[in-house]
Amino acid sequence: MTKRNYQILQGIALAAILLTSVLAAGCISTEDTETISIAGSTTVLPVAQAVAEEYMAQNANADIQVSGGGSGVGATSAIEGTADIGMLSRDLKASEKEGNNLREFVVGKDGIALVGHPSNSVSDLTLEQVKAIYQGKITNWKEVGGTDAEIVLIGRDSSSGTREFFTEFVLDKEDAAKKMQELNSNGAVAQAVSITPGAIGYVSLEYVDDSLKAFSIEGVEPTVENVISGAYEINRPLLMITNGEPEGLAADYLEFILSAEGQMILKDNGFIPAV
Amino acid sequence: MRGVWFTSALFASLAVIFILGYLLITALPVFFEVGLTGFLFGTDWNPTGTNPSYGIGALIVGTLLVTAGAMLFSVPLGLLSAVFLAYVAPKKLRDAVKPAIELLAGIPSVVYGFFGMLVLCSFLQKVFDVPSGFSWAAASILLGIMALPTIVSISEDALSAVPKDFREASLGLGATRFQTISRVLLPAAASGISAAVVLGMGRALGETMAVMMVAGNSAVIPSPLWDVLSPIRTLTATLGIELAEVSAGSMHYYALFGIAVVLLAITLAVNLASRFVTRRIETGKQLFTLPTLPELPVRIPPRVTEKIAFACIYLGTFAVLAILAVILGNIFINGIPAISWEFLTESPKDLGRAGGIFPAIVGTVELVFGAILIALPIGAGAAVYLHEYAKASHITAGIRTGIDLLSGTPSVVFGVFGFAFFVIFLGWGICLLAGMICLALMILPTIIKTTEEALKSVPDSLREASLGLGATKTQTIFRAVLPAAASGIITGAVLSLGRAAGETAPIMFTAVVFSKRFITPDLFEPVMALPFHLYVLTTSVPNTEPQQYATAVVLICMVAAIYVTAAILRRKFQRNLA
Repeated sequence: MTKRNYQILQGIALAAILLTSVLAAGCISTEDTETISIAGSTTVLPVAQAVAEEYMAQNANADIQVSGGGSGVGATSAIEGTADIGMLSRDLKASEKEGNNLREFVVGKDGIALVGHPSNSVSDLTLEQVKAIYQGKITNWKEVGGTDAEIVLIGRDSSSGTREFFTEFVLDKEDAAKKMQELNSNGAVAQAVSITPGAIGYVSLEYVDDSLKAFSIEGVEPTVENVISGAYEINRPLLMITNGEPEGLAADYLEFILSAEGQMILKDNGFIPAV
Repeated sequence: MRGVWFTSALFASLAVIFILGYLLITALPVFFEVGLTGFLFGTDWNPTGTNPSYGIGALIVGTLLVTAGAMLFSVPLGLLSAVFLAYVAPKKLRDAVKPAIELLAGIPSVVYGFFGMLVLCSFLQKVFDVPSGFSWAAASILLGIMALPTIVSISEDALSAVPKDFREASLGLGATRFQTISRVLLPAAASGISAAVVLGMGRALGETMAVMMVAGNSAVIPSPLWDVLSPIRTLTATLGIELAEVSAGSMHYYALFGIAVVLLAITLAVNLASRFVTRRIETGKQLFTLPTLPELPVRIPPRVTEKIAFACIYLGTFAVLAILAVILGNIFINGIPAISWEFLTESPKDLGRAGGIFPAIVGTVELVFGAILIALPIGAGAAVYLHEYAKASHITAGIRTGIDLLSGTPSVVFGVFGFAFFVIFLGWGICLLAGMICLALMILPTIIKTTEEALKSVPDSLREASLGLGATKTQTIFRAVLPAAASGIITGAVLSLGRAAGETAPIMFTAVVFSKRFITPDLFEPVMALPFHLYVLTTSVPNTEPQQYATAVVLICMVAAIYVTAAILRRKFQRNLA
């Protein structure tokens, strides 16, 4: 009865070909539309996407495609021209600037909150204490006024903009303790801290909710208002870059994101306006 | 026709050589700068410190420990379940349970990662009363679970393919069922089982997204070395964590490519070792002499051994099903409430917090079917060449090594290679075709291996009968051998489909966007895809838990639909053969 099997195999092949052609035939004409692609840091992605959604709601023919991949991908894509705009959550490196005519736009800022488990009795830390904790000099919460529990250090990966800023601003370019655990996204750090009673970590402001306890630093609470007023200093720029002057839809989009309306959308999403 | 088969077989190895060459060339500067010994044996990984250091010793140790732990967890459980399915379970139960276990392969790795974090790490932290549950143990258990479907499914195929005569002869000679299984059937299926273990190990070695969520990722060697609750960092996690952000052309970037090369070298070593073992088993040579156990004061009667063994088989299978139930239950309970008609048919709004995921469903279907359309003909062709034509030669050995290497390539490497080659070098930009090819490369080894195992299970008498009736070799292969092997080929294709549907890393740099206004099935346009949508929601958009779970539910249901179809087909094929 292998003949029947042969027929079934033929049937499967036919079905596969049909499916592909149906999908291909479903093509919608996109002649009048203008498309740009924005690629890079997943931290900047929510900002780019939120603003793009509003822009597209106002402009029926615009198709703004936002993709992730990380700051490295953002820089490379913009330099090589496979994306119209690159997104970075870290500064451009010398190797990326070299030989390219890159334009940088600071589209917003990202406040960084130090967070712990909601059950943690500590609520205020000084910058010195944070530094000592991350360098492994303070290893128990009781040393900063909390209960007798080992501190579990959770940090970001060494190449992320968040870590870079943290190392520069908080650690004065000194190395973090080797036993620091590393995760590579806000979502992962927030999740990890929320299930680990002794943990300390740092995440973007918009990630602070009931499942985490945000420490105030030197008595100042990490809120959007405090970052805008300058009272809370731990924040870093969110970058968009283009290779050469932006043109067409890319220019319009960048103009929109920097406009009062665009900056308002940013703020609504928990980020800090650039201007 | 021989040429066509040979070309397909060659393709896999050429792809490997190409990828490997690309990785090596990119990694070269780090070998010059740090030196091979400094790179491999240095234990200080601090690429962005004021005084950067690029020693990956701790990461290599981490990878080996985590993989070993995963195998320790999954091989016994997997084999017990495979034995249960092949020899103990009634046929109806088997037909229901096997696809269920295969479904584990279709759960996206991001989902495994978050499940591992919330359930496994919290559990370990509370039970062992340690400060943090992110650990070697968590990583090994999670990877073990992820390797289970591969090990169970392929071992079961191998066990079922052992001719019935073996079993009957052994039982007829008065051996107990357990004696028959352990002394006759398992050795007879050794080749298939070792293929299953190697593929499972490849899965564990190459997994990126899940392991980096639960391992803690401190670049330290556990001290003491057997401290399973110590955080640990693998080579793949380092790639997964750092590759996305690093700037191209920096020493850190070269070092990460160096890591990819080392990872492939480890895979190669593992595969060569396993091939050696398999050959020893097949030729019946003893691997090593077991130390003679001290005589027990009382001889355990076979009937007692039988009872203990069967208890283990039932327990093992039950454990696997319980794991499946916990993971699926967790996802479905949290995901079902957020699923609505709107969710299934509309585009996302407000960063995925509202609206739906329709374009991502379409994109995933396109990516997965595209990948299988590319990989199945090439993979099956390669397997036919290797099994039906190839003689043991250096070329064949080279091709096999290439395929093994491809199977151990971490998924993130396909993504990075695809980005550098298709997206940037060929100038395609982020597009559907690039993603299809990356996924196809990723699933190719599974398809080749499973097809080859299926071909092995076709009795030679069938080929001889066909040839004897005057059919040409090509006719024999198409009309007699392939249809008879269809069940096994479908198993491979199904496992691959599930894997391709759930992977994030190969497509996130090459094919997908988070949002797209118009659905345009153009090979040179980007698409949305479910795993990437899920990835962005989980990592970068707060307050989207219901949508995350719902997206995972949709993805799993799609994979399940594919599996059900395949299960029906498989049963049809088997009935037609009987």
